[in-house]
Amino acid sequence: MTTSTAYCESVPASVLHAEISKLGVEHLLIVPDTHQKTLLRSLKDDAAFKMHTFSTEDEALCVNAGLWTGGAEALVIIQNVGLFAAMNSLRGVCMDMHVPTCMLVGQYSRNVNLPVDEDPSSGCRLIQGMLASIGVPCYVIDREDDVGVLSKAFAQSREQRGPVVVLVSAPTA
Amino acid sequence: MERIEAIEALAAHKGQGLSVATMRAIPDWYAQGEGIAPHMHLDNRGCMGGAAPMALGLALAQPDKQVMCIDGDGSLLMQLGVLASIAGCAPENFFHIVLVNGVYETSGQQPIPGADSVDFAAMALGAGYKAGYNFDDLGVLRERLPGCFNQKGPVMIAIKVAPGDISVGVPPGRPGDHIGELRKTLVGA
Repeated sequence: MTTSTAYCESVPASVLHAEISKLGVEHLLIVPDTHQKTLLRSLKDDAAFKMHTFSTEDEALCVNAGLWTGGAEALVIIQNVGLFAAMNSLRGVCMDMHVPTCMLVGQYSRNVNLPVDEDPSSGCRLIQGMLASIGVPCYVIDREDDVGVLSKAFAQSREQRGPVVVLVSAPTA
Repeated sequence: MERIEAIEALAAHKGQGLSVATMRAIPDWYAQGEGIAPHMHLDNRGCMGGAAPMALGLALAQPDKQVMCIDGDGSLLMQLGVLASIAGCAPENFFHIVLVNGVYETSGQQPIPGADSVDFAAMALGAGYKAGYNFDDLGVLRERLPGCFNQKGPVMIAIKVAPGDISVGVPPGRPGDHIGELRKTLVGA
């Protein structure tokens, strides 16, 4: 008998891909994330999506604003440290301009054998507190059963006209 | 060339297209009156560098409409990687105007990095824009703008202008004032 000590488990890319397909988005706005590389590989081969790679997360959030204004729906796929880097666009565009913005954010460098608030990586440990401090809703996918929060988060971003984050705890499988 | 003169020349080419303006270009854009300039338009306030990627999103969502981004040199430098992103997406309807005054105007006219050497048209061409132009003469600008807009983008139009009068304030408003209105105009919701 084996006993898992993990606090979170890898979710198959196919499961996340299927959930993303339910959102009705046409554009995927990415800054490449090692943590979600299997998901990115899977999505790249799906003709239902237009995948755009950007230089920075700031760009991805601003492009999302323009797409939404023009009537196109998008999902932003980035990693935790990139979200820290994009704080000014998160604040000045997504929040102040009331732009529906759904972000799937990989918890890059997460130690799956520790609770997140004990993770040595500040990028993993601090992100939920940071988002809470500025009032951005945040959901967590710790295992396959949690994947449905992505659809919930996407709908919430549209209803509330603002940013909503979904963290992917373990690297996608 | 004064910035308002450049803006007047640009506004004549807006037609029924879309526009995004940022920072000190905003008051001059609204000074064009109640005609087509402020119609189907979006301001980028409070997020320097955001105008070009926002305009890129609009261009991708509305490929049949001309999108004019009226950027500043200091603003563009804050998200300079967007040149590569725009070139990578290659929207044929994207026209990127950069008003080059060489300074951060509102904070006291400190020079931008590389004020004496940066060539925005060359950088855009190096990134992969279809065309790039530098203008420093109003007469030449007026003469050649029709040709600039009568081609496939992305196109960079860098215009050297004098630093402006910072006593002219940005029209009152909040960052999100126009975005819902523009979306409603474009897609009805």
